Amino acid sequence: MKWIINFVRRRGSDRQLAQEVEAHLEEKMADLMDSGIPEQEARQRARREFGNVALNRQDSREAWGWVWLETLVQDLRYGARILRRNPGFTSVAVLSLAIGIGVNSTMFSLADGLLLRPLSVSRPSEIVTVTGKTPGYPFGYISYRDYVDFRDRSVSFDGLVAYSMSSFGFSARPGDLSHMKVGLLVSGNLFRVMGVEPQLGRGFRPEEDLVPGRDAVVVLGHDFWEKELGADRSLIGRKVRLNGIEFTVIGVAPERFTGLDQYLRPAIFVPLTMAPRLAANPEGNLLDRRNDRGLSVKARLKPGTSLAQAQAELVAIAKGLERTYPDTNRDQSVAISTELQARIRDSPSDAALVAMLMTLAGLVLLVACANVANLMLSRARARTREIAIRLAIGAGRMRLIRQLLAESLAIALAAGLVSLLFAYAGAAFLGRLQIPTDMPIVFSIKVDARVLWFSLLVSLASVMLFGLVPALQASRTDLVPVLKAADADSSRKQRLWGRGTLVVVQVALSLVLMAVATILFRGFRAELLGGPGFRTDHLVMMSFDPTLVRYGDAQAQQFYKALRERALSTPGVRSATLTTVIPMAMNQRQENLVPEGHQLPKGRDSVQVFADTVDDRYFDTMAVPIVRGRGFRESDTAAAPRVAVVNDQLARHYWPNRDAIGKRFHLGGANGPWVEIVGVAKTAKYLWIAEPPTEFLYLPLAQHPSSHLTLVAQSFGDAAALVAPLHEMVRGLDANQPVYDVRTMADFFQARAIGTPGMITQTVGAMGLVGLLLAMIGLYGLMAYSVSRRTREIGIRMAIGAGRGSVERMVLRQGFILALTGLAVGLAASVAAEKGLMAVFSSTERDPLAYVLVAPILLAVTMLAAWVPARRAARVDPMRALRDE
Amino acid sequence: MNQPVQRDLFPGALEMMVLQTLRGSPRHGYALAQDIKRTSQDLLQIEEGSLYPALQRMLKAGWVKAEWGLSARNRKVRVYKITPAGRKQLEREISSFDQMLAGIARVMRPAQS
Repeated sequence: MKWIINFVRRRGSDRQLAQEVEAHLEEKMADLMDSGIPEQEARQRARREFGNVALNRQDSREAWGWVWLETLVQDLRYGARILRRNPGFTSVAVLSLAIGIGVNSTMFSLADGLLLRPLSVSRPSEIVTVTGKTPGYPFGYISYRDYVDFRDRSVSFDGLVAYSMSSFGFSARPGDLSHMKVGLLVSGNLFRVMGVEPQLGRGFRPEEDLVPGRDAVVVLGHDFWEKELGADRSLIGRKVRLNGIEFTVIGVAPERFTGLDQYLRPAIFVPLTMAPRLAANPEGNLLDRRNDRGLSVKARLKPGTSLAQAQAELVAIAKGLERTYPDTNRDQSVAISTELQARIRDSPSDAALVAMLMTLAGLVLLVACANVANLMLSRARARTREIAIRLAIGAGRMRLIRQLLAESLAIALAAGLVSLLFAYAGAAFLGRLQIPTDMPIVFSIKVDARVLWFSLLVSLASVMLFGLVPALQASRTDLVPVLKAADADSSRKQRLWGRGTLVVVQVALSLVLMAVATILFRGFRAELLGGPGFRTDHLVMMSFDPTLVRYGDAQAQQFYKALRERALSTPGVRSATLTTVIPMAMNQRQENLVPEGHQLPKGRDSVQVFADTVDDRYFDTMAVPIVRGRGFRESDTAAAPRVAVVNDQLARHYWPNRDAIGKRFHLGGANGPWVEIVGVAKTAKYLWIAEPPTEFLYLPLAQHPSSHLTLVAQSFGDAAALVAPLHEMVRGLDANQPVYDVRTMADFFQARAIGTPGMITQTVGAMGLVGLLLAMIGLYGLMAYSVSRRTREIGIRMAIGAGRGSVERMVLRQGFILALTGLAVGLAASVAAEKGLMAVFSSTERDPLAYVLVAPILLAVTMLAAWVPARRAARVDPMRALRDE
Repeated sequence: MNQPVQRDLFPGALEMMVLQTLRGSPRHGYALAQDIKRTSQDLLQIEEGSLYPALQRMLKAGWVKAEWGLSARNRKVRVYKITPAGRKQLEREISSFDQMLAGIARVMRPAQS
C-alpha cells in the first residue's frame, strides 16, 4: 500500500527534486565563479558536468516505481478525451454496458438478500451450523441435553449457541392487549459467542442460563424496539408480559444484529431455561428430555481449527452419548456445515433461483459486451490510419494495446457508475416484494458496500470481455497496406454471419419477453375483473392461538364461542365468522378424501384437496354463494352426522353429470369416517388470483375444532375502524390473549392479488425493455461496423451513379432482414410460450393483441437503430472515400 | 534509456561510495559529489546528475534520510544522513567488495609476473 502514498506524494517530491537539482547547479556555479571563471562559462560547465537533467530526473522518479501508474493515468486521460470527442459512440457503449452491469448488480443484491450475505455477527466466517444426524435424516435438530454435553465437552469452539424460534404473546404493560410476536428462545451465551454487544442495557448473564424458570429476563430486537415500541429507552429495567408472565427487559440488541438467519428478525430473545414456564404444555419439558430434539445449534470455530477437526470431535462426543444413553441416542450423530452450505441445504429452491438468475444476468452481460465489442471493432476500422501512424513512428505494440484497453476501462468505469442507477432502481423494486404477515420476515434487498464492490468487479471483468479482442486486433494492423491507403480488409463473411445471429437472437428474445409481459398483464387483468369469488370489502380479520397462554382444548373452544358472540354484538359489526384459513393466504391446509363410487387412479388410495374449516356464518359473511343444497347450520354439531360443503369444481370432477348433494366420501383416507355432502359452493380463488379452477372442501368447525382460528368481521362502514373496538373486545375476554395478523381484507387482497402479479408483469416487461435496448444497440453496432467496412464499396457505387437514396435503402434492407428474421423467430417462440402460460390462467382464449401490439413497435424501434448507420452510409463522399481508403 | 555513463563503476559502487562518504557526516547533494570527486582525486568519472537517481533509490530502501537544510552558501538544500540500515548495508557491501577485490587480485597477479 506504500506505493499509493508515494504516488499521491509524487508531485511534491517531483518539485523537491527539481529544487534540489537547481540548488546543485547554483552551488557549483558559485564555486566555479569563485575560482575566477566567468559566469557564462561557469553555467555551461555546471550543466555539462551534471549531465542530462531531464533523464536524471526521470530516473529518479522511476526509482519509486510509480511510472506504470502514471502511464495508466495518462492512458485513461487520453482515452477519456477520445471518448468525449465521440459522444454518440461513447453513450451507446456506456449505456449498453451499464445495462449489462446493472442487471448483474441487481441480481447480486437479490442473491445477497436471499442467500449470500454473511450473518450479522462478529467475524461471521467462523460461525458453523451443527445439525443432528440420523441414518434417515442428516440435518435434524438437537436436544437441549445433547447440546449441553456438546458445549461442555468440546474444545474446538469458542462457544456453541442453541436456539429455537417461538411465538410469544407480548404486551408492554399489564392490562394491555397482548400481540403475537416471533422471537427466539436462546442459550444464555448467545450475545457473547456471536460477539454482539447490546445497544442498550446488557445481554444475558451466565447465571441467567442455569436454573429452569427462574430468570424471567428478555432482550428486545432492535427493529421491534424501534418500530413498535417507539425506541423507548426507559423500557430497560421495566416489566413486560410474555404469554401472561412478567419478564424484565434487560437490553436491546444492536441495529446491525438482525438475527441468526437471512430472513427472520426476532422481536425478542428469551433464555431457553424459561421455555418450561412459557410452554403451553409444562410436562413436555425440553430441558430435561434428551430425545426432545427441537433446537438449532450454531458454533464459533476456534481460529486455526478446521471444520473436519471440529466435526471429528463432535462425532466422538456423540458416540460417547450413544453409549451412555442407548435409549434416546441410538444412531444419533452430528454434522457440521458452513453457513452457506446450511442455507443452500435449507432452501435449495432459493439456491437454484439464485444460480439461475445469476447465470441469466451473466448472459445479459455477455450480450452487452458482444455489442460493445462490435462497436469497438467498427470504430477501430475508422482508426486504422491513426493506429498505423502511431505504430510507424515507434509506439510499441504493448503500449498501444494498453492505450486501447485504457479506453475500454474508461468506458467500463463510466458504465459501472451509470449501472448503479439501474441497481438502485432494481433493488428498490425487488425490495417491494414482502409477504403480508406478522412474522418479522424481511427480504433485505439493498445496494450496500458489497454490491458496490461487486459492480466494480463486474465492470473490470467486462473490460477483458469487450476490450481485449478489439485491442489485439487493432494493434495487429498491417502497416504497409494501410499507409498505402489500400483497402486492407479481406472480407470475413463468417464473422459477420455470427454477429448477425447474435442480433437476431436478441431481437427474438426481447419480442418473447415483451409478448409474455403483455399476455401476463392482460391475463391478470381479466382474472381481477372476474373477481376472486369472495368478498374483499368491509372485512377485517384477526388471528388467535390460545395455546400460547396455555389454554386447553375445551378452554380454547369456550374462548372462541365467546369471541364470536361478543364480536357479533360489537357496534358496527354486521356479521362475524371463524375460519382456519383465509383464501389466498400463505398457510393453506389440505385434506385427504376418498369419494364414494369414484375410481381412483392406480396406485392411489385417496385424493388430496385444499380445505378449510369454517363456522355456520362463513358463506354469508364471505359472500361465497351456495349454488345447490345448503351451507353449514348451527345444528351441525359434533354430535350430529358429519357433513361437508364442496365447491362446484370438486363436485363436477368426482360426480360428473350427477348431483353431488347426498354423496359421501371417506375423510382422511379409506378408513376415515363417512362424510355427507350437503351443499355445493361456487368455485372461488383459493391460492392466488391467477389459478386455474381448483377443487375445494369446507368442513364445519363444530365437528373439527381447531386451536388456531381467524376471526373475520364484516363492518357496516369502514372496516379499518372496527380494529380498535374489536381489540377492546378481546381485551375484555382475556388481556393476555395474543392477537396477530390484524388487517383488512382489502389490504390483504391488494398485496396478494394485485401487488404480486403486478410485480411479475413489471419484471418481465422490464426484462423485455432491457432486451429491446440491447437488441437496438446490437443492431446499431453491427450496421455501423458493416457500413464502415463498406465505405470504399459504397464510394464506388456512388461514383458510378448510385443515388444517396438507393445507398440508404441498401443498408436499411440489410438491417430489415436481420430484424425481420428476429421477429419471425421471436413470434414462433412467443406462441409456444403462450401455450405454456394458458395453463396458468383460467381463460382459454388466445390473445392476439399481444403480437399486434408488440411486433410492429419492435420492428420500428430496431429499424431506427439501423437507420442511423444507413444515413451515414448515404452521406459518404465518393471522392473522399476513394481517395482515403 | 540508460546511457553507459557509469562505465568505470560496477553496479552498486556509487551507492557504496555515497554511504561511505555520508558515514563521516551528513551532506547535501552537491557537497557529496564534490567530496567523492575530491577523495578519488578525479580518478573516477562520475556524472554529477547520476547521484540523484541513486539517492532516490537509497531513500526508498531506507538507507539514507533527507531533510531540508542550508548549505554553506545559505542556499536551501536537501541534507542526506545515513541511517542504521544504511550502515549495515555499507558493512555488507564493503566486505563483499573486499572479497571481490581479493579475487580479482588473485586472477590478475600471474599476468603481472
